[in-house]
Amino acid sequence: MIEQDLKQLQERSIYIMREAKEKFGNVAALWSMGKDSTAMLALARKAFLGKVPFPIIHIDNGIDFPETYKFRQELAKKWKLDLIVAESEIKPELSGYSCCGENKTIALKKLMKERGFDALIVSIRRDEHGIRAKERYMSPRNRDFKWNYKEQPAELWNDYSSKLDDKGHIRVHPLLDWNEIDIWNFTKREKVPINPLYKSKNGYRYRSLGCTHCTSPVKSNAKGIDGIINELRSTKTEERAGRDQDKEKEYVMEKLRALGYM
Amino acid sequence: MLITRVTLLGNKDHGKSTLIGSMLMLTKSVTKERIAEAERTSKALGRKFEPGFILDSFSEEREGGLTIDTTRVQVKHKGAAFELIDVPGHEELIQNMISGASYAGFAILIISAMENEGITQQTKRHLFLAKMLGVTRVIIAVNKMDAIGYSRKAFDDIKEEMLRFLGRIGFDRDSVSFIPVSAYNYDNILARSKRMPWYTGEPLMQSMLQFSKQREKDGKSLRISVQGSIESGNGTLVTGKVISGKVSKGDTVASFPEGRSFRIESIYVKGRQKPSAGKGDDIAIKPGSGPVSRRGSIICSGRQKPLVSDRLSGTVFFVREPAGKASIRYNGIELAADIIVHKVIDIATGGSLQKNSEIVLNAAKASITSRKKFAFEKFNEYPELGRFTLYSNGTFAGIGIID
Ligand SMILES: Nc1nc2c(ncn2[C@@H]2O[C@H](COP(=O)(O)OP(=O)(O)O)[C@@H](O)[C@H]2O)c(=O)[nH]1
Repeated sequence: MIEQDLKQLQERSIYIMREAKEKFGNVAALWSMGKDSTAMLALARKAFLGKVPFPIIHIDNGIDFPETYKFRQELAKKWKLDLIVAESEIKPELSGYSCCGENKTIALKKLMKERGFDALIVSIRRDEHGIRAKERYMSPRNRDFKWNYKEQPAELWNDYSSKLDDKGHIRVHPLLDWNEIDIWNFTKREKVPINPLYKSKNGYRYRSLGCTHCTSPVKSNAKGIDGIINELRSTKTEERAGRDQDKEKEYVMEKLRALGYM
Repeated sequence: MLITRVTLLGNKDHGKSTLIGSMLMLTKSVTKERIAEAERTSKALGRKFEPGFILDSFSEEREGGLTIDTTRVQVKHKGAAFELIDVPGHEELIQNMISGASYAGFAILIISAMENEGITQQTKRHLFLAKMLGVTRVIIAVNKMDAIGYSRKAFDDIKEEMLRFLGRIGFDRDSVSFIPVSAYNYDNILARSKRMPWYTGEPLMQSMLQFSKQREKDGKSLRISVQGSIESGNGTLVTGKVISGKVSKGDTVASFPEGRSFRIESIYVKGRQKPSAGKGDDIAIKPGSGPVSRRGSIICSGRQKPLVSDRLSGTVFFVREPAGKASIRYNGIELAADIIVHKVIDIATGGSLQKNSEIVLNAAKASITSRKKFAFEKFNEYPELGRFTLYSNGTFAGIGIID
């Protein structure tokens, strides 16, 4: 896994977030209390000199880990976040990824409609999955949250999409260029608070965090961030290996994304 | 680690995906899962292992055997890191090719040496566009050498023809290198191949290493592209990106098109106060006399100022027929504009085409008039401030550079 230059990465993320704020009146960001979206909040604090100037959305299906809820509460207070909790249901009949995919999408759609957000900052990284490699820094979604990846707007130099499909919104991806290990290097250097689930407990830790239903821990003895970084330097498995949903179908992400799953 | 972005150009089917796949294999930059997946697909399609399949993650891309959008992968080699950007190589997707190539530090152009493939119109168009996009250094990988018995003559012929073309479109001879490869058999990719003893140059990845070490010099005067403003505890700050030069606290600078000077009271880089900032930094500055710059302004210092006008002449490249309301996007702003094409240029020869010939996918000289004055630079002097995109009725229609 390549460790990239943090300065270069941060510059690009800051530029993209400022660009989103300049271009779109009503911006919000998704926060899962995971390492990526928490790093994104730390970057927003840098871009906007100490405060996060947009609402932060947690789509809550009620079955996240207790540690996650505690972390949410503490950091929201410390960083004075304008936190919106959007409750999503769990409908088992939508089996498979019923806890995430479709149910979370429904809750997000409802919230987007109520609040009229025209841009949504989402902390995906290109190295997470082959399909994410197709994303642009700013990718439009139509009214039904569909992603037309075959006809994406041109995105060149620093000219990012600003065209809003009618009633759609723009997904803004400030972390697109970051690798998993870059997030940890940044987290360490900037002392970004982390969800304790990432640290090893009884020989296991979470590498990628979903909710209690769809994530399982990986074998690890990494107690602190240094341990995590060392582990990643030698790993040969994919980050989302601990996510059940991936195993169900090879192209599950493609599907989820077309459905509007972040 | 600084990562160098490399775009892979070339006609479709000349072997871009295969070459990237082979680099991933040779540098062990890919997980077992991905290799296994590619093996499964190759087998399912009844072929021997296709390194190119490591790249394709969309099912329909795989079946159709072509790249639809840009794909990016990272490889490490001898302490250098590269992000390889695979752009689609066929005509309808030239807009995606442009998006991918616009981020590149240098390019690798692939030309298949097979008799029925060779140098095509698309090969030349890609190079021409790369030049417009600001790519100045190119490695030309002449691929599929295995399929033509590793013939030196075929390689030399391609090299000779390409050198003539490169000279015509303004590439520096020293910024281009030619390497005969077989992406399939891994010849001259990581190590020099015994099957082509007549080739005494470097293997591809060695050449990439050399290219990545050459950094652009920045001997230019200060230019800040203004992004907008933010509110902070320290009042309203102007945000922007330093395109060239250096700026320090206490400097007096001037903003255009406003034509007003001000003193810089404080500079923030990545959220922290700093005494100065340089090329590439995204900054927020507190102007002494209240903000005068707006999105689209250019801040400079020294005697040489940006141009301010409502008219410019440039070289444009349309990806689709301009229709309806035309506009250009430049330095963060969109300007309604009248675009008049003076002549259409034949990319292959550099000569003029007939006045009324097709402008789509051909270059043209044009003059552009906007409704209001704005600040800009020539592409030759400040490449990042000398280029714009063309829109018609709000849809991307092409790119341009300011002559
Ligand atoms: N003989 C030979 N065939 C190759 C080589 N590289 C690629 N090919 C074949 O050329 C076809 C197109 O390659 P691909 O990488 O998909 O081309 P792309 O469209 O430029 O990405 C495939 O069938 C490959 O197997 C090579 O070095 N030698």
